[in-house]
Amino acid sequence: MENPQVKQHKDAIILFSHGSLLCGAGENLRRLAAYMQQRGDAEIVEVGYLNYSEPPFEASFRRCVAAGATRITVVPYFLVAGKFVQVDLPPKIEAMRAQYPQVEVLLAQAMRFHEALADALIACAHKSASPAHWRDILNTAPQFCRADPRCPLYGEAPCPAQPKGEPQ
Amino acid sequence: MTEALLVMVHGSPRPASNNDMFAVVEVVRQRGIYPIVEVGFMECNEPTIPTAIQTCVEQGAQRVIAVPYFLHSGNHVADDLPTLLEAAQRQYPEVEFLMGDYLGRDEHIADVLMTRTVQAREAATLH
Repeated sequence: MENPQVKQHKDAIILFSHGSLLCGAGENLRRLAAYMQQRGDAEIVEVGYLNYSEPPFEASFRRCVAAGATRITVVPYFLVAGKFVQVDLPPKIEAMRAQYPQVEVLLAQAMRFHEALADALIACAHKSASPAHWRDILNTAPQFCRADPRCPLYGEAPCPAQPKGEPQ
Repeated sequence: MTEALLVMVHGSPRPASNNDMFAVVEVVRQRGIYPIVEVGFMECNEPTIPTAIQTCVEQGAQRVIAVPYFLHSGNHVADDLPTLLEAAQRQYPEVEFLMGDYLGRDEHIADVLMTRTVQAREAATLH
């Protein structure tokens, strides 16, 4: 007899983030999701946004379902659980549960306190740069717009800062 | 060379939102890598980043390593933080200022997210 307690899941993680008008700003998070998937945190690791950036949360959720996920854990990519996590996210999750009752949907906590954040802080300090380079550190992600061929998202999704038909 | 770690934080209209960050900074302080560890806020809370830099210098910092406690880097952060550090460099030419990477770019973040994932799965199994 199969024990229902040890039901095998095909797991997905959705990193839920706010999104940005700077369309290159999501590249760092895409890389993080790819890293987590590659090391096997879940078979599928996607990024889903509340606003502006692509893909929106719902599209990301549907991608997980289409890929065969039976359990989706939504993990807020937020240090603190503020309005976006506590107020905006739950109804989105409820809507997905209603549409896909066969999928188990879990909501994780925001990052808040974790010893690994101290490790991250120290690692960031070790990667320090002098004034000649410090603007590069912060600019690398958002400097390219999707309209620019150098942007990692070039040709994929429309740029939120440049609505269709508007001259660039 | 006396090194100071300056943690640059956005700040929040709800000061309690900073408690977890302060706990993380306390862990870093306890590890004893940096003799001086200070927090400075961009807005809403005290001390400001210039005040926190002054505190570092008054404690004898010869090098200040400033790390943005940010998950994302937008225009706000990309312009404001370097501008604050450049002003500090002019004010304290004898001190070396360096800026670290921002928090969201470090892969330890993946460990935090995975812990939260596992906790959510475990909580669901208990029900």
